[in-house]
Amino acid sequence: MSWAAHQFEVYAVEAHLPKKMKGQISWFAIFFGDFTPDFLAKFWVYGFNYNGTHYGASKPYQWHRGWPGMGISHTLFFGAMCCLGIWAWKHNRAWTIGFLLGFAAHVLTDVNDSIGTMLLFPFSTLNWSLHTWAYAATIKGGKYLDAAAYFSSLGAVMDLFWFFVVVIGSWRVLTKEFWRTNIVAADPHVWSWLGQWLDDRGLLALYRGVFFYGVCRMIAWTTWAHLVARPIINGVRHNGYPWDLSWTGPWWVQRVTLPQVTPWVVLPMALILLGVVYFVANALWERMESGSIKEIAWRNVRRKTT
Amino acid sequence: MSDPSSPEPPGTPSKYVDFWLYATAAGSYIPLAIYNKWLLDWIVGPFWLVAWVWGLPALVKLVRRQPIKPRRGPDRDPR
Repeated sequence: MSWAAHQFEVYAVEAHLPKKMKGQISWFAIFFGDFTPDFLAKFWVYGFNYNGTHYGASKPYQWHRGWPGMGISHTLFFGAMCCLGIWAWKHNRAWTIGFLLGFAAHVLTDVNDSIGTMLLFPFSTLNWSLHTWAYAATIKGGKYLDAAAYFSSLGAVMDLFWFFVVVIGSWRVLTKEFWRTNIVAADPHVWSWLGQWLDDRGLLALYRGVFFYGVCRMIAWTTWAHLVARPIINGVRHNGYPWDLSWTGPWWVQRVTLPQVTPWVVLPMALILLGVVYFVANALWERMESGSIKEIAWRNVRRKTT
Repeated sequence: MSDPSSPEPPGTPSKYVDFWLYATAAGSYIPLAIYNKWLLDWIVGPFWLVAWVWGLPALVKLVRRQPIKPRRGPDRDPR
């Protein structure tokens, strides 16, 4: 799984929207799209302890990404179904397309860990994984070991990569000017509603809050894993978890796997699917205009006036 | 929302105040979160920033008996 990368990619997607969608896609939709897969699956991955009993998935990786399990929540198919639901409910293309882009970003980013995602579900239940770092959610280790493994492996590099994509390649997306002209313009009613309680400074902080959280969790978990924690690995006490920036690291977590395709085809397929998602979003954007709530309202106004 | 035709020039006092607020928000959140992991949560994190960046100035206003609720013009549309 990815950690702060999921926070940063929300802003990266926002910054790299096709030209015709700039200032028109709901930022909240991108956020909820990116957030939904883990919201549905992750709680039971770690589970919880009550009265000395652990409640949660018996095989966290199977539950999180496999079939049968909640692995469906990490498939483009499920994202498309959610988008159909949003469109049927609201007829709002800003939310439908925004959700699709956020959801796709999450699913495609998660092919990096050693479990990966079922990219071609429902046609295939095989997982697609690049094995860049080890999937480390276990019953015994819980969130702590998962975080320690991620922030000791190439996962940490992935987070840094997305961080720099935003702060170097797309820093404007964090400015007040961008927020005012693109983010608020795309979602005037939501921001106006929030504006009942918060002034501009508060609203802007709310928009930047997800990025802030990404930066802080990246620093906090990395600091904890390498400076605070005193783990015992193979009977040896360490001052901090050891770094391992090798492929499928770190070496000190237990290897788990699901039926998978060969890793060599994963990157090309992920790039193809990314292209398909952008193509579909582009194609639907125009067509959805005639069915959007705004357009229907205008049609009704025109009908009444003639 | 304030008038978009009058953006603040860089280097104004409010920019420094904002920078200070964001920096102290991170400076307070990160050390606390290292030792209290429940703070590392997608709700608490963004809420912390809003509470710090908006809440602290609001608190100062409250002490000075100034209004906290945002005052909007007749046109409430943020665009």
